[in-house]
Amino acid sequence: MCGIHDLTEKDLQPLTYSPAYLNKIKGMRFFDPHVHMTARTTDDYQAMADAGVVALIEPAFWLGQPRTGVDTFRDYFSSLLGWERFRASQFGIKHYCTIGLNSKEANNEKLAEAVMEILPQFIYKEGVVGVGEIGFDDQTPLEEKYYRAQLELAKEAGLPVQIHTPHRDKKKGTQRSMDIALEHGLEPHMIIVDHNNEETVKEVLDRGFWAAFTIYPFTKMGNERMVAVVKQYGSERIMVNSAADWGISDPLAVPKTAALMHESGIDLNDIHLVTYTNAVKAFAQSGQINEADFDVAANIDQSEKFNGSSILRGGQQPRIDKNTTIIR
Amino acid sequence: MSVAEYVYDQDKVSTLLSTIIRNNGNEKANAWLQQRLQLHQQTGAIPQFNQTFTAIPRFTGKERIRISTTEDEQLQALLPSFFVHGWTLDRLARVWWLLQLPVANKSAYLEVLENLFNSAEMNELAALYSALPLLPWPEEWIARTSEGIRSNIGIVQEAIMLHNPYPAKYLPEPAWNQLVMKAIFTDKPLHGITGLDERANAALAGILVDFAHERWAAGRTLDPMQWRILVNFVGEGNFADITRIWHSLNSTEKEAAALVCAQCQYEPAKALLATDPALQAEIQAGSISWDTLAQKITK
Repeated sequence: MCGIHDLTEKDLQPLTYSPAYLNKIKGMRFFDPHVHMTARTTDDYQAMADAGVVALIEPAFWLGQPRTGVDTFRDYFSSLLGWERFRASQFGIKHYCTIGLNSKEANNEKLAEAVMEILPQFIYKEGVVGVGEIGFDDQTPLEEKYYRAQLELAKEAGLPVQIHTPHRDKKKGTQRSMDIALEHGLEPHMIIVDHNNEETVKEVLDRGFWAAFTIYPFTKMGNERMVAVVKQYGSERIMVNSAADWGISDPLAVPKTAALMHESGIDLNDIHLVTYTNAVKAFAQSGQINEADFDVAANIDQSEKFNGSSILRGGQQPRIDKNTTIIR
Repeated sequence: MSVAEYVYDQDKVSTLLSTIIRNNGNEKANAWLQQRLQLHQQTGAIPQFNQTFTAIPRFTGKERIRISTTEDEQLQALLPSFFVHGWTLDRLARVWWLLQLPVANKSAYLEVLENLFNSAEMNELAALYSALPLLPWPEEWIARTSEGIRSNIGIVQEAIMLHNPYPAKYLPEPAWNQLVMKAIFTDKPLHGITGLDERANAALAGILVDFAHERWAAGRTLDPMQWRILVNFVGEGNFADITRIWHSLNSTEKEAAALVCAQCQYEPAKALLATDPALQAEIQAGSISWDTLAQKITK
């Protein structure tokens, strides 16, 4: 992914100013419906909060290398529901997740069976807003088998499905994902088809599904292209996410795209729909999202008093000045 | 009739909690809980039991509970120091729900709880640890509690450390000391730890003095409340430290030093306190106490 740009000394210097795009989106609230925070640092949480991200969804996915046992899946799922959720709250961000067996690891049949067995323990948990991210990678028979099994699980639980569409043979893979979902009797409004591009978006929208776009440098969408997509297709059932993970990616992709849309003359109401409202609406079908909670998360009272006793409510993290060489 | 596995009158507590839940819940939530209870009593199915535990907040909501003075007194009489103030309704309902699990088969019971802990999300963990004083076979939860103290999740730490009588009653000394030190490191209000004075010990006093030296060397401050733990362990070895905070410009530190001097049995400390008769008089009159200090610190 590197090597596309020639790096200069200037590119390596840390930012010492507040980026201009932040002014354009001042006061706006964002919901990033796909971001892998376990791979990110506290600096990212801080920057996201500063840029107006009030809530996010962390889909369960693979960790860059295959897991070898079901216990590491169990611990991963429970970290999404526990530690990561708390970590986000320290920065005033409301953390939700989707739980599922990702397509890559569906190819290890023995492990996949074991993971399928523990999934029902997790999908009913508080703040689990869908089954995801599931779907196709290589489009193998095993991927299809576990994709279908998880669609059934989602149907039974009444949860939305967050579909990962493949990088390779994307258009056919996307079509096939939608066909199979319909075959299992799921309603298109319960399905968020992710990682769309100019080639897939029309059919996804025409068939009544939600179309999510991932702004991710080099391999997925760029945000200038995203501006063009919104200009062409409007703001209905379209949403933007960062899918930031352990690769070269940008957890500020949603606010940055909003700023670029604003600069490009897209109506503020449309920007709000594609960077906040649509995602909230789609995943709130789980019954697990209450917008009022976003404000609660953002206004953590460090020590709530009750009957003279101070009851701590997971205080927010102190801020550190990054522009000084002194560390205290 | 109460079962022997529980070390308190489980029937009465379960009934009382059920009343408090009913008084706080709406009709729909109460009906749902009743229906789940009946189903559980008929089938005894564990997946259904787990699912109810998980689903509780969807039906009860998460409002802070209100509890009448009478209910509070009844609860205190049945379970001294058990504390539900500030709890949300979903937490109380989850704790009550745990009391509905049959205790006829110990290993089966432990397995269900183990599984609940291992797959719990953040609020479920807080409810599980809040329930420690109510669980049967209390000695079975010692290792689990020590494990919980290692958690990095604020509300989980609070559920164990603050207003929870279980740790003081059952934790061995090293685990207890770890709880207190972790509470200090994570800025918990120390006066909220049940049994803080009763479980003070020489080893912990020593750790706290070393910790104070480290903090001072780093140019950092201390929670004045930590000195309270030294009251019964003041002597030649740490009197210099008490003297140091006595001379502190921070009034809460000075008051903490004065309270230690007033309550300890070490003569030089008593003599030190006598050098400030006004402060001594205030302590005698009760206008300075660990409680007033706690209020000042948390303000």
